[in-house]
Amino acid sequence: MTAADATVAPGAALAIPPRPRTWPRAVAIGAALVAVTVATTIPAIGGVEIDLGAIARNWTNGLDRIGQMLTPDWSILPRTWQPLLETLEMALVGAAISAVLAVPLSLWAARPTNPNRVTRRAVRFVLNVVRAVPDLVYATVLVAMVGVGTLPGIITLILFDVGIVVKLVSEAIDSADAAYMEAGRAAGGNQTQINRVTALPQSWPAIASQVLYSLELNVRISAILGLVGAGGIGRLIDEMRGFYRYDALGTIVLEILVVVIAIEIASNLLRKRLR
Amino acid sequence: MNDTAATRRPEAGDHASSASGPWPVTLDNVTVRYPNGVVALKDVSLSIGAGEMVAVVGLSGSGKSTMIRTINGLVQPTQGSVTVGPHAMTALRGAALRRARGDIGMIFQSFNLADRTSVYRNAMVGRFSHTPTWRTLLGIATAEDRDIVMRALDSVGMLEKVWGRAGALSGGQKQRVAIARALAQEPAVMLADEPVASLDPPTAHAVMADLSDINADRGLTVLVNLHLMDLARQYTTRMIGLRAGEVVYDGPAASATDADFEQIYGRPVQQRDRLGEK
Repeated sequence: MTAADATVAPGAALAIPPRPRTWPRAVAIGAALVAVTVATTIPAIGGVEIDLGAIARNWTNGLDRIGQMLTPDWSILPRTWQPLLETLEMALVGAAISAVLAVPLSLWAARPTNPNRVTRRAVRFVLNVVRAVPDLVYATVLVAMVGVGTLPGIITLILFDVGIVVKLVSEAIDSADAAYMEAGRAAGGNQTQINRVTALPQSWPAIASQVLYSLELNVRISAILGLVGAGGIGRLIDEMRGFYRYDALGTIVLEILVVVIAIEIASNLLRKRLR
Repeated sequence: MNDTAATRRPEAGDHASSASGPWPVTLDNVTVRYPNGVVALKDVSLSIGAGEMVAVVGLSGSGKSTMIRTINGLVQPTQGSVTVGPHAMTALRGAALRRARGDIGMIFQSFNLADRTSVYRNAMVGRFSHTPTWRTLLGIATAEDRDIVMRALDSVGMLEKVWGRAGALSGGQKQRVAIARALAQEPAVMLADEPVASLDPPTAHAVMADLSDINADRGLTVLVNLHLMDLARQYTTRMIGLRAGEVVYDGPAASATDADFEQIYGRPVQQRDRLGEK
């Protein structure tokens, strides 16, 4: 009684089960999403007020600035090299230190590498708190604590990076197949030994990939951190904005764009080699 | 190998931390009930002598995986007790349980290697219970541990792959490395959970022959879970049949009849119950 005996002879009508109707549900979900979105823009029921008229009244104002930014003033370039280098250095140092911190924390935050529910939840809770605080808040507070300069910027980046790297890596460990754990346990190993010898090398690609991602993010963020005095090219952005030098600002934005794209290309190449 | 390796014979009891001689394994009224209510093992009592080569035969879901895991404490029985040599496995917890597990080697159907790291580091897993945690953390192995691992890899013919990545090996090679990992423990008992179910027939026979050698040459007590009747007959001396968590057969493997297997399987013998010739 093999499977071949049971199949229908060629040409005969197949008994295809009726296809379930799914479109009414899709329409209902779509309608609900539209309704909720519309409701959030009605001030009478607590929604936000969106004054489309303001665009019509002010658009020439913005257009001037955009026009200035689109005609970049390249004479600012020599002044940008030093702060730009500082931004890159902050991004790199921040990513490197956060990588070192994130390795043990990721293993402690994932279920297969830390079966102890109490310590795992404690690590996850602390990191949720770290992630919940906006980076500009860290930078503002740290500038007050340790003074103006790159140090508060770097500490901000470390806190930000550890938060996201640990979350993404520990989730990767959670979802990966960890059969090698059983072998380590059967050989009489403790969790630390199993993590060090097997779980860590298994997790390297995830760790490296997320650290590279955090490096990309760092360049973007450290451009902003200067606004609150935490070093980097943001300081120059703040200065130019203060003088309404939108043409110079255009140059700086283009420069950051080039650097971010370059880092993204580099990290994509590196990530491909990790597979 | 160097001189120290040549003068140090791999006999059990060679140094203080390793197990001495083959050990008997005893299961006393062992019942395993999983949290989801499934009773995987029902009041099983068995006595396996030191140095025996035993096949545990049953279909999937018969409880043989659970039974083999109660022996090294990967599964704790809900009732009953398990004794392996001097260790009362069911009474041990924490560091004492890990030390006892260090004396019991185990290999698995899916090899359970860390694919992204080297064969060497995978085999080093076998030294865990004999290694202080700080040494493992810093990655500093003693010359003795290194020597034990190299000899274990050599004994399964995998020494030349020692620095290669475990994930790059074929299935048969992976199982050989897994055997070396277990032998690096210098165990007194070897457990094997469906060790050949993921392998092609010639490789399956080679791995079964390796297990047979481990039993004959090193004198280890070997328990191997199988679902194929011809492998049980050919390579083991005693056969224990499990069906729905209960022992339904216990006797010599070679003379077990097809009727005995039908009783274990709970259905007529089929073509797929045999692996076939080498």
